[in-house]
Amino acid sequence: MLAIIAVTGAGLIGAGGVVCAWRRLLVWGLALQGVGLAVTGAAGLSSLLGGSAAGSAFVPGASLEFGVDPLTGFFLFALALSGVPAIVFATAYVPGSRGARAIGMLTAAFLLALVGVLTARTTMAFLTFWELMTLLPAGAILVGRQDVHARRSVFEYLAITHLGGAGVWVSLLLLNSLGALGSPDAILGIGAGLHAFVALAAVVGFGTKAGLMPFHSWLPRAHPLAPSHFSALMSGMMIKVALYGLIRMLFEWLGPAPMWLALVLLVLGTLSSLGGVIYALLQHELKRLLAFHSIENIGIIVLGLGASLLFQDLGQPTWAALAFAAALLHVLNHAVFKGLLFLGAGSIDRAVHGLELDRLGGLLRRMPWTGGAFLVGSMAIAGLPPLNGFVSEWLTLQALVHGVTGTGRGVAGPGIGEAASFGPAILSALAAAGLAMTAALAVFCFTKVVGLVLLGPPRRPACATAREVPRPMVAGTTILAVLCVGLGLVPGLLLPHLAGLAPGGAQAAGLFSSAGVSVFSWGLGVPMAGTGGLPTLGLGLLVAVFVVVAVLLRGKRRAAPAPVWACGQRVEAPLLWTSAGFTKPLRLVLEAVLRPQRSSELDEIDGVPQRLTYRGSVPHLFDTLLYRPVVRWSLKAASRARRLQSGSLRAYVAYLLALVIVAFVAAWFWGVR
Amino acid sequence: MSGADALAGAIQVIGGIVLAPLLPGLVQTVKACLQGRRGPSPLQPYRELRRLWSKSAVDPEGTTMIYRLAPAVVVACMVAALLLLPIGGRSPGWPVGHDALVLVGLLALARFALAVSSWDTGSGFSLMGTSRDLTIGVSVEGLLLFVVLLVTLPLGSTDLRSLSDAGAGTTVWSMPAHWLAAAAFALVVIAETGRQPVDNPDTHLELTMIHEGPLLEYAGRDLAFLQWAAAVRHWVVLVLALELFAPHPASFALRLAILAAGLPILCALLAVVESWQAKMRLLRVPRLIGVGAGLCLLGLITWLIGGRL
Repeated sequence: MLAIIAVTGAGLIGAGGVVCAWRRLLVWGLALQGVGLAVTGAAGLSSLLGGSAAGSAFVPGASLEFGVDPLTGFFLFALALSGVPAIVFATAYVPGSRGARAIGMLTAAFLLALVGVLTARTTMAFLTFWELMTLLPAGAILVGRQDVHARRSVFEYLAITHLGGAGVWVSLLLLNSLGALGSPDAILGIGAGLHAFVALAAVVGFGTKAGLMPFHSWLPRAHPLAPSHFSALMSGMMIKVALYGLIRMLFEWLGPAPMWLALVLLVLGTLSSLGGVIYALLQHELKRLLAFHSIENIGIIVLGLGASLLFQDLGQPTWAALAFAAALLHVLNHAVFKGLLFLGAGSIDRAVHGLELDRLGGLLRRMPWTGGAFLVGSMAIAGLPPLNGFVSEWLTLQALVHGVTGTGRGVAGPGIGEAASFGPAILSALAAAGLAMTAALAVFCFTKVVGLVLLGPPRRPACATAREVPRPMVAGTTILAVLCVGLGLVPGLLLPHLAGLAPGGAQAAGLFSSAGVSVFSWGLGVPMAGTGGLPTLGLGLLVAVFVVVAVLLRGKRRAAPAPVWACGQRVEAPLLWTSAGFTKPLRLVLEAVLRPQRSSELDEIDGVPQRLTYRGSVPHLFDTLLYRPVVRWSLKAASRARRLQSGSLRAYVAYLLALVIVAFVAAWFWGVR
Repeated sequence: MSGADALAGAIQVIGGIVLAPLLPGLVQTVKACLQGRRGPSPLQPYRELRRLWSKSAVDPEGTTMIYRLAPAVVVACMVAALLLLPIGGRSPGWPVGHDALVLVGLLALARFALAVSSWDTGSGFSLMGTSRDLTIGVSVEGLLLFVVLLVTLPLGSTDLRSLSDAGAGTTVWSMPAHWLAAAAFALVVIAETGRQPVDNPDTHLELTMIHEGPLLEYAGRDLAFLQWAAAVRHWVVLVLALELFAPHPASFALRLAILAAGLPILCALLAVVESWQAKMRLLRVPRLIGVGAGLCLLGLITWLIGGRL
């Protein structure tokens, strides 16, 4: 039954893609894709909730096998939850854009590729769809935009993801050749060195595709260029699918992970979350800013995964399962709110053409629906209660805090100052503090975004006359905003199932009930041993009630209109705050790390200043210090290597001859042995 | 729900809502004393609130719903924070939980609401304060988490009630980690209440405002709400300081007495620090907070090597 539903869903997506070939039927094609995606998601959800599997299990070999199990089911559900609103949005967004039919068809292909990676049950199937998943967005970007900048960015995207993505091939093919795919026993015999190699290759490979720092450089280039619903799918799900691969690898196929691997994940997670949000703060273009926030959120998810591995090593399956659930919940939450923000950015772009932060403003009044949804999404991504981002960030923080207190002793043992392992404790503590700072920075960043985009005076004539976008686009963002609130209020409905997906999670769930402490007993909140509990529904409702009471208490408002105080001046455009101005204190604080560059020129005539030119920028240090040297060296190496290709036939004959001689020598040498 | 729980609940609500404005008033009185002048009575904040309550509000041109809603959201967050914060380690079980990290989230929501409202006005001075407040907030939030982490070590729970109970014995006081966490929390208190050397609450110069900046455009009942919320912020962090770090016996009545005696003492201490320290250059504040983080890290290391006094 499950298999039939899933296949029907995939078939509908495919059929929708085909229908998109006719210009007149484009909207219907997209709608069909949406229905197909919803059906696929329903199959995933039923697999997740019922714990059932269908289709093939993981088998080594080159055949094409597919299947669904609860983990796949969860990711399919997340894909549908963020994807269906994106498709609803697309029904109004795509017809007006360039290369509409092609984009409609590419959307279907991309969705199928995502579903394919998630359901693949052989190395062959996985790698095939993996490559498609990488290539199709590049196609969508190039259909939509054909300027030099876009082409160059696409090239960099493909180059970086393929170089890094080699890790995926290496690790998967190695596992395949060892016959360890899907048979955990085989992995035990492979030796620590090879185990570590496979694990590291997987972290680099999947990490590159997920946009984990320092492998992230492609992400802020590629995501902003894609059509908005594609950006939403890329940031919402594509990078999560890479994490799905990582989860399969580290939590399932590679068996018990060594401690250092958990620490590597904690370090990379902290780097990504802090680095991502700091660079996001310094961006002045909305979609690019959102792309950097994807890096931040991937970092948060990886922190959860790292904490889960850490707890496994510490022999605390309960907390391991909870940290795992935190990571998965953040996968879902981020898919929802980042999808919302990218779609909102698309709507705003459609309405006012241009997403330069300093040239927007006042859109909440002109576009109340889109603006309101965008505000909700901003609050969710900033990790503010009572929205969904807060729940998963809270859980991750709890996991890290208990990672410190739990090192060296069991949850039950209340001893003070017992011997504990140093590295994990200190790293968890730093990761926890880093995550708290990340949350505060995200609040900072989205204050800026909300302020510059939605509030204040319009900074451009187009913003003063902006009109609300067509209904399907409004519907797409609104559905996601409702989901942000809903997932924030009742995460408890989902969390036990997510905890059950962790290795040994079922056993951990049993542990809760046998100890008499049901972790999710309230169902609607997260009352958890070792914490003060997070009764999401109670907290959300109570805050809402208090807001209403405060408004009523204030009574009928008598308010005098007045100009904004600016020492008696009128507030004119040059006096308005800019994105760079607002973040300046932070930039100054972090100057030693960020190394901002600025230059100013003063044109004077007879000592009278005529014009002041100011230029300031914050270079992306990963690009200047890490990627640029690598690119330079590889270009240099390539120009050396090019000498081999002289174009002269004699040289090539000589190469052939040399090769034959070498082959003979080798054969003779080993033959003699 | 026992009688003690009910009493604690009453103090949470009534005490927090009614008594909170007394705290900044006390600080001002003691400060005036230290400076050798006759300052306002500790009841001055109440008079201010009454005055503001009878005045009409001001809506700067071009503001939206956000500007009007922000004071209510800030107030709501603060009331929720009051319910979340146990008194004497007890609370009647409000449906907000008692988690230390949820408290951090509520304070962040209040900060966000105020920051967004200042974007809504577009006022340069408000935004200057907001941007500084958020910059400082980043490091303060990191430090606060470190402190929570250190106090969580003995019992392994972030439940504020059990954190408070942990101070009942003498065991935690044999841990250097607890002492260092207390020192670090002092920095959090100063930063969160907007006191010198981090911020100058008495300033009337817009260019130097941090916490006062976002309040600049508000008037009337809106401003009364926000000033009350600022007073509650004092209440929350000072009560938290006493709950976590005041040595106390297990008996509830004695703990209430310690709370009653401790709050004026802490207010006086704030006044002493204010009179003694000049306001620090804005960009040096994160460094000061960094010192706190260093202390916490040191505390963690002492815990890890099993250090006792």
